[in-house]
Amino acid sequence: MTTTRRDIFKFAGGSALGALLTPAPWRLITDTALWSENWPGIPRPARGEIRAKFTHCSLCPAGCAVRARCVGEQPVSLAGVRGGLCPFGVTGHQLPYHPARLRQGPVSEAMAAVADAIAKCGPGERVAVLDLRPGRTASWTARRAMAVLKNGWYIAPVQSPVAVDLTKARTVLSLSAPLLERWGTPANVFAVRDGFRLIQADPVESRTAALADLWLPIRPGSEEALALGLAGQLTSAETAAMTGLSEHQIESVGQTIGFGRLSLVIDRAMSPAVVALNVKLGGWGRTIVPRAEAPVPPEWKKAAPVTDLAAVPDRSIRVLLIDESAPGEYLPWDAIEKKLAAGNPLVVVFAWSANGYGRYAKYVLPTPVYPEATDDIPPAIDSPAPCFRIAAPLLAAPAGVVTPSEFIASLAGLPPADALRERARAIHQGGRGTLVTYADAKSVPVKEVKPDDFWKALNAGGCWVGQALPPANFRAPVGQALPPANPSQGLVVLATPPAPSPASPLFTKLYQESDLLLAPNCIALHPQDAARCGVSAGNRATLETPNGKWSVRILTDSSVRPGVVLAARPEMASASGKVVRV
Amino acid sequence: MNAQKKYGMSIDVDRCTGCGSCMVACAVENNIPPAHAGANDRNGLTWIRVYKVDNGEDYPGKRSAFIPVLCQQCGEHTPCASVCPQQAVDVDPRTGIVGQMPERCLGCRYCMAACPYHARYFNWWDPRWPAGMEKTLNPDVAPRMRGVVEKCNFCHGRWHAAKQKAAAAGKSEIEPGDYVPACVEACPTGAIRFGDLNDPSNDLRHPDSFRLLKKLGTDPKIYYRSKRDWVRNVAQASRPVSSQKEASHG
Amino acid sequence: MRGKIIFLAGLAAALGAGWAGFPYAIYTSRPQPVDFSHKVHADKAGAKCEDCHAFRDDGTFAGIPTLDKCAGCHAAAMGTTAAEENFIDQYVTPQREPPWASYARQPENVFFSHAAHVKLGNVKCESCHGALGASDKLPRYRQDRISGYSRLGMSMTDCIACHRQQARADSCLDCHK
Repeated sequence: MTTTRRDIFKFAGGSALGALLTPAPWRLITDTALWSENWPGIPRPARGEIRAKFTHCSLCPAGCAVRARCVGEQPVSLAGVRGGLCPFGVTGHQLPYHPARLRQGPVSEAMAAVADAIAKCGPGERVAVLDLRPGRTASWTARRAMAVLKNGWYIAPVQSPVAVDLTKARTVLSLSAPLLERWGTPANVFAVRDGFRLIQADPVESRTAALADLWLPIRPGSEEALALGLAGQLTSAETAAMTGLSEHQIESVGQTIGFGRLSLVIDRAMSPAVVALNVKLGGWGRTIVPRAEAPVPPEWKKAAPVTDLAAVPDRSIRVLLIDESAPGEYLPWDAIEKKLAAGNPLVVVFAWSANGYGRYAKYVLPTPVYPEATDDIPPAIDSPAPCFRIAAPLLAAPAGVVTPSEFIASLAGLPPADALRERARAIHQGGRGTLVTYADAKSVPVKEVKPDDFWKALNAGGCWVGQALPPANFRAPVGQALPPANPSQGLVVLATPPAPSPASPLFTKLYQESDLLLAPNCIALHPQDAARCGVSAGNRATLETPNGKWSVRILTDSSVRPGVVLAARPEMASASGKVVRV
Repeated sequence: MNAQKKYGMSIDVDRCTGCGSCMVACAVENNIPPAHAGANDRNGLTWIRVYKVDNGEDYPGKRSAFIPVLCQQCGEHTPCASVCPQQAVDVDPRTGIVGQMPERCLGCRYCMAACPYHARYFNWWDPRWPAGMEKTLNPDVAPRMRGVVEKCNFCHGRWHAAKQKAAAAGKSEIEPGDYVPACVEACPTGAIRFGDLNDPSNDLRHPDSFRLLKKLGTDPKIYYRSKRDWVRNVAQASRPVSSQKEASHG
Repeated sequence: MRGKIIFLAGLAAALGAGWAGFPYAIYTSRPQPVDFSHKVHADKAGAKCEDCHAFRDDGTFAGIPTLDKCAGCHAAAMGTTAAEENFIDQYVTPQREPPWASYARQPENVFFSHAAHVKLGNVKCESCHGALGASDKLPRYRQDRISGYSRLGMSMTDCIACHRQQARADSCLDCHK
């Protein structure tokens, strides 16, 4: 008996029918569907015990109080303690995993090179630290180190000597200050927003202008002229000519904010002319107060003074250490570069990503990033009382990163003591102020807290709040009338309020998956200007300014003043830019 | 049995600065990946999306406003639920929340066409996070796969957590403060408020408030407010962007 | 006639393979890392399941206890069994968590709250986990080769059957996340 072809078909037919009567085929279909739901290409969130930790956000000078939701030790989401956080703060816990993060750097090589260069410094040549966020305990460490080195210098952007008290203001005149975007502490600003009338003088309809009670579309760069005009140092006609507003508008604003009306005038950095205007309006001791700092140990007073970059002689810095770990104000590189000594100056940058000054440096050393970094945040500009709050790390920093203040301290042979703890001890010894803890929302006088508990509470996200300084006699700086700006050749490039950079990879939600924020590689201009430059929305173009050239994508926006280009990167800002289609 | 809830939101357009905190907080909470390199504003994943709208005038007469648009949780004739061939969309009678089941979804995108608010999003790509960033994923929400539709569900993971917390304490009702969606928690200006619309004490349905595309009669549970007439008019237009290619700035 | 026989032979072979062979072949199986007896522990260590399978403070369920809990008693051998000796040598002394395989673990897209079922609904552990708590020997862990699901886990059908019977919530997002 032989097996025929037909037999095989019959057998197969029988098996096929039989198989349909078993669970096998149906089960395979179900299993495949289940596999597709859980297949290994989809990452699985780690499970574990969930707990809350508290810290302060060190991404900007506001230093918002943060409640972190952690699975085990890993923070998985951040929320504000007293109100919401900005988008940078909300996504801060993702920064350690940013693709642009620096992880390795030639630390010992840089240390040897710096020591060598210090030893070889010529007469008149200096070693300098450039600190982008002065006032931190780490800044004090750098200042102490620079005082030990005989040719050391501590350079930082000038800080306004005043703080503002928004709770006291009935009218706020903002001269292009991004009050509702990134100025002061969001929780404080929005808590009292309904308590004051907001007048925004701004060349573009910024977010603050869009929500202001009154928007005054002024000429770019004429903020100071408006302040001087309102202070009576310029006539209404002169002010009108410089700002582009009508005399009537200026007089009406002048009446609204008039003397003794609890008015506050602000600009981005509280410049001397604005402080003088506030004093003139009777705001001293009310809406503006002297800026207070948390106490420091008495032995720290032998620190190097804070020097403004502009006051540094040209070609005098042999070794420059730039601490970029705490992002702060942007200083254009050409202003820094002309201070460097001729012939192979040594520049070392401490940064967590290669986005900043790293490209100009000989060595870029990786630092911890929030929320790995241990740092403190000096009182924000809208904090009338001194305070001391620590950005307590939520995560361990990876191996290979270096803390800038430790590096700088070791150059000067300072003991590697815990400066934050020393300062906390000094504050505790002062015995003033209260300790605010967020986990239990309590506020206790410092006198009733033991030193160790005080330190522990600060590291668990507590905050020390002192008493505001009594308003001493204040000599208002005299603002100087500026000559009217020359009509610009080309377009004025304005930058949006500076933001921590780079931001979390999730910012594609705001840059790419929507056009809510202006992306770093985009510029916005009025449709008329776009047409004049021969570009239209979506085009690629080159932005040319005296500071450099950038390849950008064009967005058109009729809320941008004609003649103005809006850019998101501070280094693009310029009085004369040109947009060229690629 | 639990009392019937009807969760809803009140969004004050006059307080929204368009900062984008709600959009990124939503992505953090709901394990939404960063954009694929090829994604744009038409095919990205933004369960809540803030649109910039304006009054149509030119500088300096132009005035802008920001309108956050998320799933409107329609209560009547829920357009997406009625067209889904897979029964992957349901309206929970006990919460009023319109639920989307990615596991059931076959990716036909009929619901996206039906949704008048453009509040549904399709996974055009596999979910990918930069190396290491998957450690920050929220364990209360399952990441979705490529090829399915997803949308806002009022942070259902947080609702689960609140229910669980109540259950552990032996209670079947949650504390209102325990259930707050991520966008509400993240909003720095307090423009977004959330609660039970059946509870008259929380004032979510203010008489001055309006809902998007009222003419459609879908009974959304998101109530908007604005004192500006032009904003109220824009909210009744079919697509809440006056000129799509225009950008905003920040 | 012969054709019919061959056809029926094919049918029978497929039925046999599909009903008898396939349900086993679809699973991989592996023993648990430790030869653990729930019965012995129920007698000597704790009377109730919660004594080891505890709730955390926030109401979440901790599931299989970690090594700390075991090491509380088994820092040194308490008995003379080979199983205990192995456990101490391989896990307690080197402080390595045993790679337990959870029979009842739900997939990523399921939200299951022990608190809601045990504390609020008074569901008995045995209703879902069977008599595991009284067993003397841990069964082998069987895992579906394709879906990766455990054989002893509750399926959605099981959940829904009980929820319908008890008139409990059965909206998709009540249990899915």
